Amino acid sequence: MLDQNELIRYNRQLIIPDFGEEGQRKLKDSHIVIAGIGGLGCASATYLTAAGVGQITIVDFDTVELSDLNRQILYWEDEIGEKKVVVAQRKLSKLNPSVEITPIFAKITKENVLSIIDRSQVVVDGLDNSATRLVVNSACIKKKTPYVYGGVSRLRGMITTIIPGQTPCLACLFPEGDSGLGVIGVTPAIIANLQALEVIKLLTGHSPSLAGKLLFFNGDDIKFRVHEIRRNESCPVCSQVLLQQEEKEQ
Amino acid sequence: MRVVIMPGFSELIIVANPTQEVTREGMLSIVMPWLYAPWPNAKEKGIIEMEIDGDTLRALLAELAAKYKEANVELQPINPTTNDLDFDYDVLVNGKNYVALVDGLDAKLKDDDTVKVKILWRWDG
Repeated sequence: MLDQNELIRYNRQLIIPDFGEEGQRKLKDSHIVIAGIGGLGCASATYLTAAGVGQITIVDFDTVELSDLNRQILYWEDEIGEKKVVVAQRKLSKLNPSVEITPIFAKITKENVLSIIDRSQVVVDGLDNSATRLVVNSACIKKKTPYVYGGVSRLRGMITTIIPGQTPCLACLFPEGDSGLGVIGVTPAIIANLQALEVIKLLTGHSPSLAGKLLFFNGDDIKFRVHEIRRNESCPVCSQVLLQQEEKEQ
Repeated sequence: MRVVIMPGFSELIIVANPTQEVTREGMLSIVMPWLYAPWPNAKEKGIIEMEIDGDTLRALLAELAAKYKEANVELQPINPTTNDLDFDYDVLVNGKNYVALVDGLDAKLKDDDTVKVKILWRWDG
């Protein structure tokens, strides 16, 4: 049941016919992990907290730096040097006190990733490098947890929603590319808000729009392109043969 | 210049003026079917043959971009503003990055040169 305060707070989304109280209850009963609380993570965490996702675990091992402030909108100048997850928890809890925000100050590794994403219904990508993304991707495939990839640089970004066993995973695509190319602050906000929308759809039982699709955003000329992507049957992470073997071994 | 194009994972593999038959042997399944957009009938065989007006890497990339544009797909390795490679792509010739070629994008392609056009991913956050 939603209380009177919640009925008022979420009114603008409750009146959407396909969402309603049932959708809000689903969000309230959900647990998600936001891996990385930088440019992408700050924006997705803000909107998912505001939307009323019940439990949000935020994971990051960084502290706030001056160079973060062009895009990481949860952090302010007087918080430089503080742990990002602590500052983010403080701000997000003020935004919506009914959401349980759990901060984890840690670097995501092969060793801890399964315990970090345990019991989460969706993992949201807020990372800034390919290696950790592939670690998270692999864990999500093992746990059968949807993973909403998002990545940016300069004025461009990409998103895909990975549904284990159904859509391509990151490893299917042999992704290559550089990081550290710089970014205009609004680019991660655009990508992260689309990720947040995918998360809300997943949590409320609607079909995600970017499952099996790769969205390219180009802010140079404000163009969005969406292309179909297919699973690599020989993927070293998500091929059915491999997963069946692992299940047998367990 | 005659080229043979093979869409790969997130890349195009192109052989310039092949002197031998080009096959997809060793290449796995296709995960980006939209790379076939200009040549829908080539999906099954997985090999596209095309004539390029010119013999440089730049001519090849420009003609590819034009082909994709005709199919309403944006695949434009040469950035029209900088006239250099766009940072969404990487181009290798026989495994070497194009910047290592003496003439860069204006390098002339020789028979059997293999060009890889890779679509790069975004990793920053």
